[in-house]
Amino acid sequence: MTAPMGDPAATVVDPAEAWAGEQEPARKPEEPSLSAGEWLSKNLFSSAVNSVLTVVFTLLVLLAVRGLLNFTFSEERTWRAVKTNMRFLFTHAYPQEQYIRIWVCVGAIAVMSGLSVGLLARTGAGISLKKLSMNLMGTGGVIGLGILLREPSAMVDDEGMALHGDPAAAVGDSFVGWLDANALAVLGVLVLANVALAAWFHLQGTYLRDGPEPRVAHGVLMLASVGVLIVQQYATGEIVRESFADAMADRAWWWLGAVVLAGSGAALWFGLGDARRRNTFVPAIHVFFAGAGIMVLSAWLYPWGHYAFLEGEFISEPGSTVAMTTKLPWTVMWALLVGTFLLGRALSTAGAVSRLRVPLNLLWVMTPFVLYWAVLRDPDLDWDHVLSTDIPMAVFFAVFGGLVVWYLTHPRIGEAGRIMAVVLVGVAVLNWVAAYFGWYPMLQKARISFLLLAVVALLAHNFAGDRTQRLRLVAAWVAIMAVFHWLVTLVNSPSTVETPTDALIGGFGITLIVAVFTLLAAFPLGVLLALARTSKLPIFRVLSTAYIEVFRGVPLITILFFFTLIFNLFLPDNMSLTDIAGATIGFALFSAAYLAENVRGGLQAVRQGQYEASDAVGLTTVQRTLFIVLPQSLRVSIPPLVGQVIATFKETSLLAVVGIFDFLRIADKVISAQSEFLGVKREGLLFASFIYWIFAYNMSKHSQRLEKRLGVGER
Amino acid sequence: MSNTDQTTLAATQSGRPPFYRDATVVKWLAQVFTLLLVVFALFFLTTQALENLNRQGIEIKYDFLGIGLGSDLREGIDTDPDTAGRALWAGAVNTIRIAVGGIIAATILGVLVGVGRLSSNWIVNRICSIFIETARNIPLLVQIIFIWALVATLPNVELDQGPINGVLHLSNKGVSVPRLHIDDGFYQWLIFIAAGVLVGWWVKRRQDRRHDATGQETYPVASFVGVLALFGAVGWVAHPIFGWVGAIFDFIGDGFSSLTPVIVQVVLSLAALAAAAWWIRRFLARRRTPAGLMKLTDDDKFRIIFAGVGALAVIAFVLVGWPGLSSWIINSGTDLLEVIANKFGDGRTGRPMDIKAPDVEQIGNFPNPGPAGLNLTQGGTAVFFGVVLYTASFIAEIVRGGILAVPKGQTEAALAVGLRRVTMLRRVILPQAFRVILPPLGNQYLNLTKNTSLAIAVGYSDFVQVGQIVYNQTGKTLEVISLWMLFYLACSLTISVIVNFFNIRMKIVER
Repeated sequence: MTAPMGDPAATVVDPAEAWAGEQEPARKPEEPSLSAGEWLSKNLFSSAVNSVLTVVFTLLVLLAVRGLLNFTFSEERTWRAVKTNMRFLFTHAYPQEQYIRIWVCVGAIAVMSGLSVGLLARTGAGISLKKLSMNLMGTGGVIGLGILLREPSAMVDDEGMALHGDPAAAVGDSFVGWLDANALAVLGVLVLANVALAAWFHLQGTYLRDGPEPRVAHGVLMLASVGVLIVQQYATGEIVRESFADAMADRAWWWLGAVVLAGSGAALWFGLGDARRRNTFVPAIHVFFAGAGIMVLSAWLYPWGHYAFLEGEFISEPGSTVAMTTKLPWTVMWALLVGTFLLGRALSTAGAVSRLRVPLNLLWVMTPFVLYWAVLRDPDLDWDHVLSTDIPMAVFFAVFGGLVVWYLTHPRIGEAGRIMAVVLVGVAVLNWVAAYFGWYPMLQKARISFLLLAVVALLAHNFAGDRTQRLRLVAAWVAIMAVFHWLVTLVNSPSTVETPTDALIGGFGITLIVAVFTLLAAFPLGVLLALARTSKLPIFRVLSTAYIEVFRGVPLITILFFFTLIFNLFLPDNMSLTDIAGATIGFALFSAAYLAENVRGGLQAVRQGQYEASDAVGLTTVQRTLFIVLPQSLRVSIPPLVGQVIATFKETSLLAVVGIFDFLRIADKVISAQSEFLGVKREGLLFASFIYWIFAYNMSKHSQRLEKRLGVGER
Repeated sequence: MSNTDQTTLAATQSGRPPFYRDATVVKWLAQVFTLLLVVFALFFLTTQALENLNRQGIEIKYDFLGIGLGSDLREGIDTDPDTAGRALWAGAVNTIRIAVGGIIAATILGVLVGVGRLSSNWIVNRICSIFIETARNIPLLVQIIFIWALVATLPNVELDQGPINGVLHLSNKGVSVPRLHIDDGFYQWLIFIAAGVLVGWWVKRRQDRRHDATGQETYPVASFVGVLALFGAVGWVAHPIFGWVGAIFDFIGDGFSSLTPVIVQVVLSLAALAAAAWWIRRFLARRRTPAGLMKLTDDDKFRIIFAGVGALAVIAFVLVGWPGLSSWIINSGTDLLEVIANKFGDGRTGRPMDIKAPDVEQIGNFPNPGPAGLNLTQGGTAVFFGVVLYTASFIAEIVRGGILAVPKGQTEAALAVGLRRVTMLRRVILPQAFRVILPPLGNQYLNLTKNTSLAIAVGYSDFVQVGQIVYNQTGKTLEVISLWMLFYLACSLTISVIVNFFNIRMKIVER
């Protein structure tokens, strides 16, 4: 695949592009390649001040990296705690024997993602080989530097206790010992020397002449600083440490990795000419698949070790590869992802995009419900009840509602339609009033269905159209009823998956589930609130403003406490909420207030002319809002909405405070309470930070790309 | 269908459609219906809660605030509070303390990182962007707990505590730094400061005018600071002459306590009526044209009616809904005035302020941070650095966006005139960027304040954590949660008022 035009997929009209409604902006003319020396003098040593900044900050970075490495890989770290508790961290108490359900869920998401990316994602130009090889070399270099900077391991005796040496003997009697004792002073002198050098060259005016001398001098001094940082750690002090040679030999695997990465990068770099490495592009997704593939492959080949906590026993087999129950499913997931991606690409080339986009998006909306209620929960359906009550009721609402929709969407229905809609609203309201006073019993499901039907009937005239249009609406209604009744039945059936905790699943699973359901609930509410807040009708505006300001003015944690601790007090006797349901409602109400503000920004960006034009063509308020205003405003507010998605994802960590076993709580409290890993906290927290970071970082990068593509800032 | 058409035709001919097709009426019907729905939902939930509470024999009362609390707080102005109310007050002070300190620190760090993010130096640029991407993509709670676990790795407290003994103490018990200690004469001294601000302001305005008139450099800001310093210095010794101020507050307090509830009820009712009347007058004034009052639409009439109904609802609430409100206002107002009066006692002649270095005291076998310095416990350190780093990363992005929003021509012009880079940043870029930066910055301050509530995870005695202690001991969950919400709403309101004040000033400069 050379150049964007050579890519066969790029010649097909990209659906995402059609949706975005504009072409990718022309690629900026790239700046000419700089040699390494030119690059350094331009970006790091362009002036005396710049050089001093470079020197000081490089030293700070190296110190920070050294501290981080020594913290992460210190002998005091029990990383085994994280490896052993992988299952807890991701699903907590979900039973081991039902684990296939988890894999089905992951698989379903893999299939959907593969299809969506293959079908809908724009191919774009991808990553140039130049950038790729630079990244490879950079990663290799950073790993190499890290290997050198990390302190050597302490020598331990048979019981794992560090061997202690003679501290007096270590200091002063060798050069290394002296360096260790005076490291700060030496580094200070080196920095001062750099400053003096910069000042001297500056007074000479040499920086302006672009000569190499100042850079070379700075470089020598900086290398000396790095040397001090490395060598200092090999002084044997109070604790006896291994020698430099032993330490390097112990890190052979890391060296291998660094050399392979840097080597392949260098091979790419020097194997291709400047023009070719600039103009050859690899799709980013291929790089991702390759990376994931290497990870999966390494699970089969490299002895990562097998650690687990099974039935109260801690299993620890350092020499072996990971368990079959881990590597096999992940291999399948990888294959599913890649396979469905290729399938999606093929379908996209065959031109199926326009027909598949809507079903795919609907499927995405359905996925969380199906996966959680049907797959993870494995509900035990009461078939007698299903056949005698549930199915007939669903059929009744589908048929009756379908007829109502068919009738009410007639373009010339007139007054009769209004009367019928009002009657339906009356019936729906009466059902709820009757339930409040206990006049006659009716299933909650039927009451909600009536209410839905009443709302649809009220809005129906906005969707009036020809036969096909009406048939489509009827079909949509029938589908909604089928799905709705099916889901309510599932929710009402008891789960067969037995867990020792109240929650079905914990760990990262509950983090994701709460985040997804929160967003699904918060998004429509947020849009409604935003519409109400920008409405011209004062009561709507005041109510919505009050809601938004109150929820934005109060910390999330107090809302969560309200919904988990005392909200049940506000409910009738026969109703109660579990902690997780309560927390999700709290999250949703809170996020909705923020989402509303984001959407409001988008609504304000819609020009007045759009409103006037839609009034002029005679659209009703509902039509204007649904077909003219919302599509435009939502498009503008996509980047802040993604920001809110990230915020919600991060906020789910507050579940830990209200006592739900989410990802953070397990990393923080559960692992450190196990007999084998008493008090081991920092490892779990580091790991949790890393996982949260990966998700949030990728989402934010994606949102930035989206923002650029939509050109929101530029109009 | 022809039937329908005729009806419509008839309606058009009569000038107005039937009421159920009249847009204004339908809109207001929908609004009133929604309002009723909301009111009903709230009513339903409240009665249900009251009923449930009744059944458990619990009443919603706030008298637990006066009852003693059996446990100590970890830190704050009062670590061994007598009552739950006092404990909550100490918690509130802790929250405000950490929020104010956090806002200052996060702003400084955020601006530095934001500017560094735009640096032409590659490594500075990279470091700043790595900091931003790390700090803002890890949940704040995880960061706070992680810092808490990191502080635990610091050395134990010792008598000669480092790194800088007497200035900065770091240990696994937290951080201690010198503290500004408010002493006896502080409040009298404040009167001098207030006077200094007034006079300084007047001097500054005079200097400004002279500068505008003559173009001479008149140092307006320096004169302001000079006047303020002068007043402060004089007040430092002369403050006891204001010993009589307390008597004035005593006098007002006496008058306030002799009010009867009926008077307060009447005053509140009149205030509600006056507010409604003021609103209606302003509304009508807007509808007035040189040719006379505009014809009011139905919408306008509904609005006016609603303002009246709202005022009546307030009056009904004050008179019937919660009659105790008035006596509560009288009591708490009297208490407040008494507290203020005490601050200006006649016998207060000491220095207004002192600086005290942190100390370490040994009680029994273990040394502990002493009471002299400003101590942040392990939890406090975690919360402070957590919110500062997290918020700074957002502020940095806001600052960067604000600077980028300044047209490039401004930079080029400033450099062409020969300004140095620092001067350019200070005089040309930042003032313009500030206008873009301010509104989102205010949001971040708000978020920071709310985020300090995560202290509950690491046991820092902030308002929420103390509240949790209180409801665990008294069982008054509902009351405590309502206090939480009120407190944070008040904080948010304060911050938005301050930010809006600056926002409006900025806009005036723009013209």
